[in-house]
Amino acid sequence: MASPAAVRELQRDLENKANDLSKIQKDIAKNHQVRKKYTIQLGENELVLKELELLKEEANVYKLIGPVLVKQDLAEANANVRKRIEYISAELKRLDAAVQDLEEKQNSKREAVLKVQQRMQALQAGKAKA
Amino acid sequence: MVSPRGEVTPFASLFPVDEAHKAVKRVEEKIAEKQKEMDHLKEFIADNNSIINLVSKLPEELHHDIMVPFGKAAFFPGRLIHTNEFVVLLGEGYYAERTSKQTADILKRRGKALDSQVESLKANIKDLKAEASFFDTTASEAAEGLVEIREDYVDEDLGEEHFESAFQGKGESPGLNEKKHMVEEDDEYTRLMARLDELEREELAAENDDESIEDDPVANGALEDGNEQKEQSNTIESDTVNSEHFQNAISGDLLLYQTHSMQRKPQEQEKIEDVTAEALCNKYQSDLSLKDEQNRTGSTIQPLPKAENLSSKSSTHETKRHLHNEKASVLPEGKIEAMSSATQPVHMQSARPPSNSSKTEASQSGFDSSKAFTGSIVERSTDVLTAKSATLPPSDSQSKPSRPVSRFKMQRR
Repeated sequence: MASPAAVRELQRDLENKANDLSKIQKDIAKNHQVRKKYTIQLGENELVLKELELLKEEANVYKLIGPVLVKQDLAEANANVRKRIEYISAELKRLDAAVQDLEEKQNSKREAVLKVQQRMQALQAGKAKA
Repeated sequence: MVSPRGEVTPFASLFPVDEAHKAVKRVEEKIAEKQKEMDHLKEFIADNNSIINLVSKLPEELHHDIMVPFGKAAFFPGRLIHTNEFVVLLGEGYYAERTSKQTADILKRRGKALDSQVESLKANIKDLKAEASFFDTTASEAAEGLVEIREDYVDEDLGEEHFESAFQGKGESPGLNEKKHMVEEDDEYTRLMARLDELEREELAAENDDESIEDDPVANGALEDGNEQKEQSNTIESDTVNSEHFQNAISGDLLLYQTHSMQRKPQEQEKIEDVTAEALCNKYQSDLSLKDEQNRTGSTIQPLPKAENLSSKSSTHETKRHLHNEKASVLPEGKIEAMSSATQPVHMQSARPPSNSSKTEASQSGFDSSKAFTGSIVERSTDVLTAKSATLPPSDSQSKPSRPVSRFKMQRR
């Protein structure tokens, strides 16, 4: 009979779509996590920048590279921190756009899943009647 | 008393007990998470403070004799020198050499940042707790088997006696009406509009008969008070809304609709709600929904909580009850006023809805079942009509005064 085949096909379709949906959701979750990390880093860098600005010119600034504390120039340290802040902000914006994209895809997938489910229900109702 | 086409919806079906409980648990989990974070932060703050103390105490001596840790399980006696030189971590792998005092300053600033984080977390937790309590009340209500009764608004003459009896008769259902499904609003709206148009035509024809609508002085007086309240809440908007809506036929359902829309958007400003409420007012009919509206108007105007829909739902729910109490007194007045001035229903409504909307959203007062207005309004003949026309608030509704009148007449027949 065509019906069981159709039902099976619909079920497969549904599974596929459900998988896609779950993948997208995982992506969104990852995105959120990375976003959080970046946000924290951004905050920390801004704090550092503030402190650096409070330092007087002759103060010694060191950077921890591995197990070594390397003396750095204050101006250099300032520039580095600023660059890092810019980089993190750009990353955050990129992530924002990506998450928007993912959310849209998620919504459309959800609708597709619903449609497939509805078709299945209609089919089963039709089968029950017959 | 007519109760047309009522729908009884057990509360449990709208907010299943299980789901409500689950929601409560979920929110509680979130609260627990936030609590943990908060404890974390508090630890940091404590550490920070102890370091500040240490850093301030070290420079008191030129050298300190200490036991220096050596590997994992050994110490050897040593001396701490250069007691005023600190290499402080600024963040992100950057260190700076600072004196003890400067270090203490850095640490204090860090402490302030931590404090602000703690504050924001606290606010978060508070919101979550409010959400949890709302879910809780909903769950308990559903468990008790509260029923939401929804009835179409039927144009009926308003009779004071009827109001009172209605108030007593209805338990909590009228209040629950407020929690109607928003979805139905649109359908109802179109339906109501069509109906209103029909009734208007009939009213025009029949209006001439009902000239002598008794005014209820008390009701009118009370209504005025109520109106004052409402007018306070609705300033210009009600008037403008009234004039707009005045064109619309009065229909209880519309009121319902507006009520819903008001409730639907708790976050929206009062003005918006007022507007919708006023639109509802225009459709003032002696109806349950109307009563609800009126009840709401009776309640004091309260600032809209910024609550989510959930809270608004709950608040509306509660407000409805609260309103019922208040409405009990206000309704008769309102109705009478509506009756008296055909053109006025808008005004009345307008005054009410704004306050109602705000109140529904904000008020969470207890529900007074004794005053619940079940909406079955017995038609009164001309008395109601006249009273209605006379007492309606001063808005500019000038559309067909005959409309409400005729409607009542229709009901009477």
